[in-house]
Amino acid sequence: MSDKRELTFSPTTRIEGNGKVTITLDGAGNVSDAYFYATEIRGFDYFLRGMDADRLPFIISRICGVCSTAHVIASVEAIESIYRTEITETARKLRELLLMGQVISNHSLVIYFLTLPDFYFPLDEDASKRNIFQIMRERPDIARKAITLRSLGATILDLIGKREVHILSVIPGGLINPLLEKDREVLLQKAQSAWEVAKDALAFGKELFDKNWSDFKKAGDCKTYYMALTKNGGLEFYNSKIHIIDPDGNIVSEFSAQDYMKFLEEKSYAWTFAKFAYLKSPGWPTGIVQVGSTARMNVNQRAKTEVADREMKEFKRKFGSPTHATLLFDYARLIDLIYACERVQELLGDKDLVRTDTRVKVEPKGGRGVGVVEAPRGTLAHEYVLTDEGRLEQMKLVIPTQMNNVAINLNVKDAATEFIHNGEIKPGLLNKIEMVIRAYDPCIKCATREADGNGRIQLEIRDSRGQIAKMVQT
Amino acid sequence: MKVSIVSLTCCAGCVSSFLNAGEALLEILSGNFEVVYSPTFADLKEVPSVDLAIIEGGVGTKDDENLIREVRAKSKILVALGICATHGGITSLGNMFALRELLEKEYSLVEKTQLPELEDLMYPISNFVDVDYYIPGCPPMPFLIVHTLKSLVGGKEPPRNQSVVCTECHRKIIPAKLDRLYGVYEKESDPTLCLVSQGFVCLGSLTRDGCGAPCPRAGFTCFGCRGPPDSMMYRVRDMYGFLIKVIAYRTGIPSETVKAELYRNPFIFHTFIFSKFQRSIAREKVI
Repeated sequence: MSDKRELTFSPTTRIEGNGKVTITLDGAGNVSDAYFYATEIRGFDYFLRGMDADRLPFIISRICGVCSTAHVIASVEAIESIYRTEITETARKLRELLLMGQVISNHSLVIYFLTLPDFYFPLDEDASKRNIFQIMRERPDIARKAITLRSLGATILDLIGKREVHILSVIPGGLINPLLEKDREVLLQKAQSAWEVAKDALAFGKELFDKNWSDFKKAGDCKTYYMALTKNGGLEFYNSKIHIIDPDGNIVSEFSAQDYMKFLEEKSYAWTFAKFAYLKSPGWPTGIVQVGSTARMNVNQRAKTEVADREMKEFKRKFGSPTHATLLFDYARLIDLIYACERVQELLGDKDLVRTDTRVKVEPKGGRGVGVVEAPRGTLAHEYVLTDEGRLEQMKLVIPTQMNNVAINLNVKDAATEFIHNGEIKPGLLNKIEMVIRAYDPCIKCATREADGNGRIQLEIRDSRGQIAKMVQT
Repeated sequence: MKVSIVSLTCCAGCVSSFLNAGEALLEILSGNFEVVYSPTFADLKEVPSVDLAIIEGGVGTKDDENLIREVRAKSKILVALGICATHGGITSLGNMFALRELLEKEYSLVEKTQLPELEDLMYPISNFVDVDYYIPGCPPMPFLIVHTLKSLVGGKEPPRNQSVVCTECHRKIIPAKLDRLYGVYEKESDPTLCLVSQGFVCLGSLTRDGCGAPCPRAGFTCFGCRGPPDSMMYRVRDMYGFLIKVIAYRTGIPSETVKAELYRNPFIFHTFIFSKFQRSIAREKVI
């Protein structure tokens, strides 16, 4: 009889940030526990205290270079809610367009650069080949498509946000600059050619997904609550209510951004730099909640654009609603992308988008306020308390990866249990487990902004004598 | 050319910026540029020997330190990409606090854990290894990254930017008569006039060029993310005095008043966070 042992994969690859996974096996070689943890940490929550509110959004942006736009907009909206600023309709449209640009830029990265290699190559492919660079060598046409999509997102952020990474133009009161008519035309043209690519990505993605689905469906399917922004049951990323549904799909809470913190709580563990967020009611550990692509499909009944609506309904027909299999995040991400590409064309088709009333005057005051947006990885909330002098007194951020953190850990264990029996480690196993993590597109950078460090993720499976506390009972 | 792309403690924005280069990115990737190691994009877990290593992020943990030492030993050319790698970046704002204490309070990290040990401060990579080229910026613009990489792939010295952001900004400098300084959000700016002469604290006059001045062009003050230009690299202390002179001259506000406003805590930390460039860095290596 072999002794208890532990497997560690470090660093986990093809995700944003630094992490690791540990899996512990019992005496018989079966999985007893699994952990996915973040090994970097920074400290934004502390060093920003005392800062002038007018510099906050642009420094907060540095939490994450991948989804910086969502952070900037959530931050500015939190400040505006304290100042009681009503921004103009034009500014609202431009902010939504920026968020759509962010979704396109992020999802094209995740779909093509991070997860496609798993679906494109056979499961036992040589690890040194399993990446986008190899795909680019074999299929330059796919590389071109990835770049066309990514470049639409980047151009939106550049022409409206004024920088592709860490946008500048969004400030309390609206946007510094109106959109120029010539820029609207450039964007509209780009959006139309990107739309062809997006449809193609959907067809290609669905084909690869269907081929692999029977292998993947067992890789983690823990049943949890889901949360997303919604407007009358339709998919939304900006300026709308938040819904939480239970594991059976019943709506349990419905609230607006300012009440957000009444529903969410967070806790930390000594074994990871990423905190865990969960629902106050029903509390820990039942109140595990997931956000992101699958959550958006589970919470909403429809999408207001044509193709995304059809695809969402087909998704629900195929997999049920709510659906829990982790790898469906990869499928649902394609529907997000389709929605964003359609919505960008709608917004850009509106001639009023170039109106010059993008900015209103703000009147700084103290108080507490919350800003919530749907970031590419799920619902993102910033809460600030400002002093009467306009300095930051307190800050609380609830970030998608913190919410998904619990589900990631549970599903990693679930997948490990499915794939490891009697201590036999089959080739490709590590990658199958990493695929579960990758499906969430976790952003370790965001989840570990709190102290000083780096988003390195590792997966550990520890033996039962390991000093790490068990995270949650299932 | 075999390439490693390594991400230390950072926000991943610099590599995101590289991926925004569009056609130029395709051109690089389809040429003599084979990415063999990159935890963000590829599955190889061990650091290989390469011709070129691109590093984003600073050193915040012992893991970072070990990794950067190993990467340096196995790379012919090492490029520090972005202000975290070149000087510590926004994250080094945390250096004002004892992070370890905060960690203990917030994460109850009193027991022994498997997490990497933290460095006492957030460091730029040059504190630990020799760096061949520095590309400062938060993040550096996509074209700046690809131009530099193209030169390196072609075996050439990359072109350098030695002047200040004002040289790339179209705004006219006309000294004004103002009674105070303004925050970026306080009033709308005139699109043709220098931001400083309108009372905004724009750092363009003491920041290295090469970015194309996207921020002042958009009506947002330059926040200095490219660090000091050649002429000021070894006189970082003089920079504050220089900025006061520039602002006083262009706004007509007395230097004493400008100084009092600029040196107000914590404004000064956040204003000059990007300007504390390592003195030991040879300026010939800054792109």
